[in-house]
Amino acid sequence: MGAYILRRMVSAIVVMVLVGIFVFLLLRLAPGDPAAMIAGRSATEEMIAGIREQLGLNDPLPVQFIHWVRDMLGGDFGTSIFAGRPVLDLLSQRLEPTLSLTILTMLLSVTVGVSFGVLSAWQAGGFVDRLLAVFSALGYSVPVFVIGYLLMYFFAIRTHWLPVQGYKLIESGVAPWFVHLILPTVALGLGFIAFIARVTRASMLEVLSEDYMRTAAAKGASSYAMLVHHALKNAGVPILTVIGISFAYLIGGVVLTETVFNIPGVGRLVVDAINNRDYPIIQGVLVLTSGLYVLINLTVDLAYTLIDPRIRY
Amino acid sequence: MIWFHGVPQAFDPYTTTDVDIGDYAFGVYDMLFGLNSKLVPQPQMIGDWSASGDERTYTFKLRNGLIWHDNTPVRAADCVASIRRWFQTPGGRLVDQRVQDVSQKDDKTFIITLKEPLGLLIDQLAQVTAYPLFIMREQDAKRPPSEPVTTHIGSGPFKFNEELFVPGASITFDKFEEYVPRDEAPDGLAGGKITRVRRVIWNDLPDQQTAVAALQAGEVDFLGAPPADLYSLIESDPNLVLEDLFKSGYDYFLRMNCLQKPFDNVKARQAMLHLINQEAFLRVINPSPQYSRPVKSLFGTGTPYTNDVNTEWYKEGGDPDTARRLFEEAGYTGEKVVILDPTDWGEAHNASLLLASELRKLGVNAELASSDWAGVVARRAKTVSVDQGGWSIFISSATDFQFGDPTTAAWMAMNGEASWFGWPDSAEYEALRAKWPDVETLEERQALAREMQQVWWNYASLVSLGQVVSPVAHRKGLTDLVGLKTGNVPMWNMQKVTA
Repeated sequence: MGAYILRRMVSAIVVMVLVGIFVFLLLRLAPGDPAAMIAGRSATEEMIAGIREQLGLNDPLPVQFIHWVRDMLGGDFGTSIFAGRPVLDLLSQRLEPTLSLTILTMLLSVTVGVSFGVLSAWQAGGFVDRLLAVFSALGYSVPVFVIGYLLMYFFAIRTHWLPVQGYKLIESGVAPWFVHLILPTVALGLGFIAFIARVTRASMLEVLSEDYMRTAAAKGASSYAMLVHHALKNAGVPILTVIGISFAYLIGGVVLTETVFNIPGVGRLVVDAINNRDYPIIQGVLVLTSGLYVLINLTVDLAYTLIDPRIRY
Repeated sequence: MIWFHGVPQAFDPYTTTDVDIGDYAFGVYDMLFGLNSKLVPQPQMIGDWSASGDERTYTFKLRNGLIWHDNTPVRAADCVASIRRWFQTPGGRLVDQRVQDVSQKDDKTFIITLKEPLGLLIDQLAQVTAYPLFIMREQDAKRPPSEPVTTHIGSGPFKFNEELFVPGASITFDKFEEYVPRDEAPDGLAGGKITRVRRVIWNDLPDQQTAVAALQAGEVDFLGAPPADLYSLIESDPNLVLEDLFKSGYDYFLRMNCLQKPFDNVKARQAMLHLINQEAFLRVINPSPQYSRPVKSLFGTGTPYTNDVNTEWYKEGGDPDTARRLFEEAGYTGEKVVILDPTDWGEAHNASLLLASELRKLGVNAELASSDWAGVVARRAKTVSVDQGGWSIFISSATDFQFGDPTTAAWMAMNGEASWFGWPDSAEYEALRAKWPDVETLEERQALAREMQQVWWNYASLVSLGQVVSPVAHRKGLTDLVGLKTGNVPMWNMQKVTA
């Protein structure tokens, strides 16, 4: 196990180095100039040139790359060209909304998605199964922004039960924090609920047809015990894989939800940075996000051993 | 009070021409002179001022009670440093060319000495067309404009709240309790800047549909630029007001690259003047006819210099036949015309698509080079041919108000390589433009404007696509908003009435 983790860590470092080179070159080779974006639409070339020089954008690419890597290894992810603040400060400011939305969505998706999947498998071919199949198809195919606007219309504009948009920091109180996250969480979560429900159903159906399930039934095990203790545990590996993938997708997929519900999270920070060619932010966030992906994959792989004792590394 | 308002990405008004910077800077900083609603300069930070008999020495004395947000007094030294910094921007260039010295006399008095008289000096100190003269602390103003100021300390009526600042997402302004407004009634950017609200929060509006929904739900009080297709929704809501505070608009235009084929030929540029059907372009930029109008004058539609000299090219619906003939006379033989198409700027993107279609109908080999705006600004700086990564046309806009000052509006110059992107070159026009600062009366300047326009449309480096007015939307309880022709909505004077 120790050797496996070490191997994975080494490969993670290689991945991160490749990501770093790719991100750096991609940004520098793409058209666009942060100096021109700072100077604004009506600026003259002379003003833009002055800013470019000041920002060090005229330095040769290898020099810029070496400076970036050197600073990053020292824990300095750079300073935003526009905001003039350290990238890590900006990121930490935006992390809470994104993590809150991601974690709540994951909790909702896993609990409801797995429950729906188990229920569908148990009632396979019946009315509930078909109803949940329709729900899954809709949840998976309707875009987040459409669901978002519909929820907004009914639960915010028509009834005033929930706020239309915005985010409240958790330090301002759990209730306002939670209330502001209900609609975005539901909007973002529906697709993932549908996805997890479908995978759970398929995995459960496979397990439910196994001989040991028939044995458990013959021994008089209750439906609950059969589904939860015997079937779900054995169907867990593909479900866990899907949850891991979903979590990674969620981190990338919150951008649209943050935009629709006006949540100042990491997604919007990156989109603004891309529009403005704020290189340090884009580089910093992409490297950190890649690291997070690698970490999630490793965690999921290790979690397999807890669910299925037959798996050993 | 919560506003939906674009949050500037860059904050130094000497560094950026970002459209959102104005409202921020007018709140945080103050100016020596402010333009009133008739665009006449009035003293703002200045208490008394005088000019010597030969009009070469101007003495300015600051009014009492001016304090920085860090609670230190505003000094003449701050003004001197700010003026010197301003000289390094295109906004202060004209005064810089005429000035001999700027010096501090005492803590509250400074002197501007000119090499030769400049009738427009006070107008220039008050101008807000490009890089206005905002007064900063001496230590901030000593940086070159290419090195943006990182603090937000001004002496204006609103303090920037650093603690609640979320870059790119939200800005909080608090009333600056120590600000002493002038005694005069508020009038444009002049008069008493009386703050009637305790705090104003700007939230960025990434999604317009959500922004209007939040306004309807009462979660925000103000929406700076509602989408045109939701005007009817706003007007139908009894709690909301759609108001044309601007009283002017944004003039859209296309700029041609005068260095490269086919637009290095004047006939081809003139063909574009005849081709453009402004009404059609206005419909793709803003679908509401009541908020748009054609532009025929170089000086916009609402400046003191707007005139109709040499505007016979304008025809409702355009004149493609004349355009085709002029392209033929220009010897056009199918050279590629590259239109820089900013896909993240909806209005310019729509106009670019229409332009490409109109050119193709005429048999012109038009090609769209789609990118985001950052891609456009990088490519438009290239003077090379389209085959080497250059360009032929890009679309931009400016406030109608900005077209009233050819000394600071960069696109109104035709001085070759020193000119704005497109690099038109006309010695005749430049000779006329050079006279602008020294003309003494409004009538004489209007006459000069007519002469300039005669040459301008003959050269045709730029073609108007029309003017669009952007009304603001706000809750009924938000009253007494100040409207400016500059397109800015200052935060002073307004009040929020709670039901």
